[in-house]
Amino acid sequence: MKFLCTVLVDHTLAATMTDADWAAIGKESMDYDHALMARGIFLAAEALHGRETARTVRVRGGDAMITDGPFMESKEVLAGFILIDVPDAAAAMDVARAIPMARLGAVEVRPVMAF
Amino acid sequence: MQYMFLIYLDESKFAVMTQAERDGFGNGMLDYDDELRASGHYIMGEPLKQPSEAVTVRTWDGALSTTDGPFMETKEHLSGFILVTARDLNEAIQLAARMPLATVGSIEVRPLDILERV
Repeated sequence: MKFLCTVLVDHTLAATMTDADWAAIGKESMDYDHALMARGIFLAAEALHGRETARTVRVRGGDAMITDGPFMESKEVLAGFILIDVPDAAAAMDVARAIPMARLGAVEVRPVMAF
Repeated sequence: MQYMFLIYLDESKFAVMTQAERDGFGNGMLDYDDELRASGHYIMGEPLKQPSEAVTVRTWDGALSTTDGPFMETKEHLSGFILVTARDLNEAIQLAARMPLATVGSIEVRPLDILERV
């Protein structure tokens, strides 16, 4: 089963971190991706630029409306994702709980729909 | 540049549609993916199951907490994503605006970051 782990980071907490702290958790995150690859359950992962780089697009009545910023302003903002393929939800939770960035925010775990 | 399209939908809007209308969006999205593939923009994408199937995990100060449901209860929920390659933000926005689900939901467009080992 495929699960998407969306990683949300508290940007107020992130703002208090030093460059060295960031570098350390960045390295830990990459090491974690490599560990998931070695276990054969890694499908994809990406990190996103900051929330100020987001634009939100809506098309209503044939017109595209574009607003600056993420779709919703919140304290915890989407920072990236890890897509995994594991036998069941329990295994997905085991992966999610060890995601380094979960210490700075939250990880939402959701099964992918078969289409 | 690579961009992520985050697709946020209000499920209640789909509940009142006919099955044919819902199928229209499903088929329209598959066609949209094919168009992005044909034009060389598509990297990958996945639709997600209902928000009720989500679990949210936090490991603050070493302690694990899990809660059922998405990280935040909102009218519109993350329903899927598509990764694309585009020349710039403008092209990414134009691609996002052609997505069938942009007519009912909100598409957040955000550039991907590159994590580098330091």
